[in-house]
Amino acid sequence: MISGLTRDERVQGLGLLAVVGAAGLVLAVAGRWDALGIHGLLIVLCCALLAGYVFFRLGDPEPTEERLSRYYDDPTKVGIALSMAWAIFGMFIGVWVASQLAWPDLTFGQAWSSLGRLRPSHTTGVIFGFGGNALIATSYHVVQRTSRARLAGHVSPWFVLLGFNLFCLLAVTGYSMGITQSKEYAEPEWYADIWLVVVWVTYFVLYLRTLARRKEPHIYVANWYYLAFIVVVAILHIFNNLAVPVSLGSSKSYTIWPGVQDAMVQWWYGHNAVAFFLTAGFLAMMYYYLPKRADRPIFSYRLSILSFWGITFFYMWAGSHHLHYTALPQWVQTLGMTFSIMLLVPSWASAGNALLTLRGAWHKVRDDATLRFMVVAAIFYGLSTFEGSFLAIRPVNSLSHYTDWTVGHVHAGALGWVAFITFGSIYTLVPSLWGRARMYSPALIEVHFWLALAGTLVYVFAMWNSGIIQGLMWRTYTESDTLAYTFVDTLVAMYPYYIARAFGGLLFLLGAIVGSFNIWMTVKRGPVAVEAGRDLPAAAVALTPGE
Amino acid sequence: MAFEYEALTAFSKSWGLFYLLAMALGVLIYTFWPSNKKKFDHAKHAVLRREDEP
Amino acid sequence: MAELFHRKIERTAIGFVLAIIAAASVGGLVEIAPLFTIDDTVEDVADMRVYTPLELAGRDIYIREGCYACHSQMIRTLADEVDRYGPYSLAVESQYDHPMQWGSKRTGPDLARIGGKYSDVWHAMHMNNPRDVVPQSNMPGYPWLATTPLDISVLPAKLSAQRAVGVPYTDEMIANAARDAQGQATPDSDAAFEAMERYGEKTQVSAFDGITTQVTELDALIAYLQVLGQLTQAAYVDTAAPEAMPDEDPAGAPATQAEQ
Repeated sequence: MISGLTRDERVQGLGLLAVVGAAGLVLAVAGRWDALGIHGLLIVLCCALLAGYVFFRLGDPEPTEERLSRYYDDPTKVGIALSMAWAIFGMFIGVWVASQLAWPDLTFGQAWSSLGRLRPSHTTGVIFGFGGNALIATSYHVVQRTSRARLAGHVSPWFVLLGFNLFCLLAVTGYSMGITQSKEYAEPEWYADIWLVVVWVTYFVLYLRTLARRKEPHIYVANWYYLAFIVVVAILHIFNNLAVPVSLGSSKSYTIWPGVQDAMVQWWYGHNAVAFFLTAGFLAMMYYYLPKRADRPIFSYRLSILSFWGITFFYMWAGSHHLHYTALPQWVQTLGMTFSIMLLVPSWASAGNALLTLRGAWHKVRDDATLRFMVVAAIFYGLSTFEGSFLAIRPVNSLSHYTDWTVGHVHAGALGWVAFITFGSIYTLVPSLWGRARMYSPALIEVHFWLALAGTLVYVFAMWNSGIIQGLMWRTYTESDTLAYTFVDTLVAMYPYYIARAFGGLLFLLGAIVGSFNIWMTVKRGPVAVEAGRDLPAAAVALTPGE
Repeated sequence: MAFEYEALTAFSKSWGLFYLLAMALGVLIYTFWPSNKKKFDHAKHAVLRREDEP
Repeated sequence: MAELFHRKIERTAIGFVLAIIAAASVGGLVEIAPLFTIDDTVEDVADMRVYTPLELAGRDIYIREGCYACHSQMIRTLADEVDRYGPYSLAVESQYDHPMQWGSKRTGPDLARIGGKYSDVWHAMHMNNPRDVVPQSNMPGYPWLATTPLDISVLPAKLSAQRAVGVPYTDEMIANAARDAQGQATPDSDAAFEAMERYGEKTQVSAFDGITTQVTELDALIAYLQVLGQLTQAAYVDTAAPEAMPDEDPAGAPATQAEQ
């Protein structure tokens, strides 16, 4: 990895590590025995390890100028590796917490392993660790190819990728020590949040500068989605996390938003994290890797533009459907419901666009598990966006809210859509990235596919059942007009489903492990591609009319 | 204060709708503007070209 | 004209970014901004009080342990919820909550009105090992809370930070935060009476975990749980009848569709 950087860039990297390490040291001193101090030391340690790695390779041979005529894929490679590592970590925690619900003694009596502390490790691990790394890695790859230009920088891509992972590390280690804001999907505390802003702004600038170098006159639609992901996540993150620390030496802070306003801001954030983190970015993957793998252009480019603006506009209104029948003013609830239903139009347009791209190519779907991953993703995207609009309808929500139905819905999206499109994209990307003719074992991709599909279906069906049953039990009255079931009665009814859910999650985890093994072996000893022409940015070859 | 709240919500509702329509119109015009078609078709097929060519 | 405009926003990706912001920000603005005309969003009630330092410390433990993952604190305006948990939640009841803990999932029951439902002893046993009192429970035990002393030295700073985000703590409350916490967990002490003077007659002074020699994290957490739904009596006084179930019309619950 270091061989792609010049000596100057290595020195710059060391300088950056020194600055971040110094900031860590300040935290360590300010925090002392507070958990903040431990995090400060963790930052120092990470920077020192990385600096050591760079320092002892300062004198390694430098790359030639010729590198500028190629794409810069080293950060993408590392990003994919990190993504898979986080996938296994996050899914393992997921299976563990799912099992805790059926067998509560699996906390082993420890504070750090109680459900309330592990659960955010699961969500952060899979959403930000697995999903986030995959988004960063693929965005680097896609923006270069579709712009026919090399990444605009050599140190900043590493800063973004590794800085983001430092954020994830601070997050999950923090939860285990009890550092959390308990704001759903925004648990990390103030200093980690500030760090993410720094990383994210760098990401934004890097992306814009790369786009500015493009040799194509038009920005390909996948980049629109990546840009919306980067820009809007920044806005959401900043506003939702505005907080006042107890002191500069304390890891604890209080959000500036009170009660009902906090609820609205929180779900404005929460729902749009789904929209712009878990949807926009992954649609970007779909719009690039699906046509690529199927070797067919997207069905309708115009439709992809229309759905882009539809999603960007409508999603922002939908967050309040998380707050039906609560103390939030009703007109806001109604707006949220209305826009959630309208959202179905651009969502299905996207899913339909993906499926219609395969017109006349369905034999490929039968034969190619990688492509099948992406097709199933598009189907689950269609299903879960339909379900989302449905659950946003007030009376439906009165039954589903607070139950496992919501959990099932989220996992239909997260497993069926997000993870499937990611695995499909990674299987498309890995061989070309490492110059292999194909993945190490196509059979193992099949195994992964069926494990993942079975796991998703078991999980989602278990949660649909448990959610609807519990929701109905809660509202069942006896003939004498009293509630028929105590809360504990309804909990007891859930146990079989909790076991089924843990099993479904386990299948999905096994699939991810098989996939990681396959990727590892592809990198180590996959069949080398016959020289089919190198993968180059436009400037390298003769001059282009595009400008 | 009551006035402010009502004014704000009324503004939200009316201008929100207007904004929605204007936005939709703008996007539709852009998408179906005849001279954009060439550009879109180019982009649509560009991703499929061998990546080592300009 | 449209073409010219779009060519321009595409030439520079910056223009494109601005277009994304313009499209994306309006929904949030329209829904969130009016909520800050607070008088109309949050009811004005006279008896609403702030959390005592001990309750605030307990709330921070509730936050630290991520209890929101399984417990909501928001009773919806539905008949069965009102029958099960008590009057539906009002906006004013979480007026001083930074952050709110309304939650989104009930693996365990709603806690918005848990205060006063069970005894302190029940809570102490339940937190130590939930299955001792509810055999079918799947909640983890929190035995270490009873043995971990509460760090009361940080309470003044916590109250100050709370004041900075808008909770009306007085200088006096901030200065005496540690003493008030100690007092609330030590019945019949001078400090206990002082705390009641500052936070009101209804402040619950108790030994919470049963031991008065040391203020533990369990004291704080139980103090917090016992005040949930008790900060104001507004919800118990004059809330409208709950909404009827959408799919039926249960007798005895007159369907109020007034708000629709």
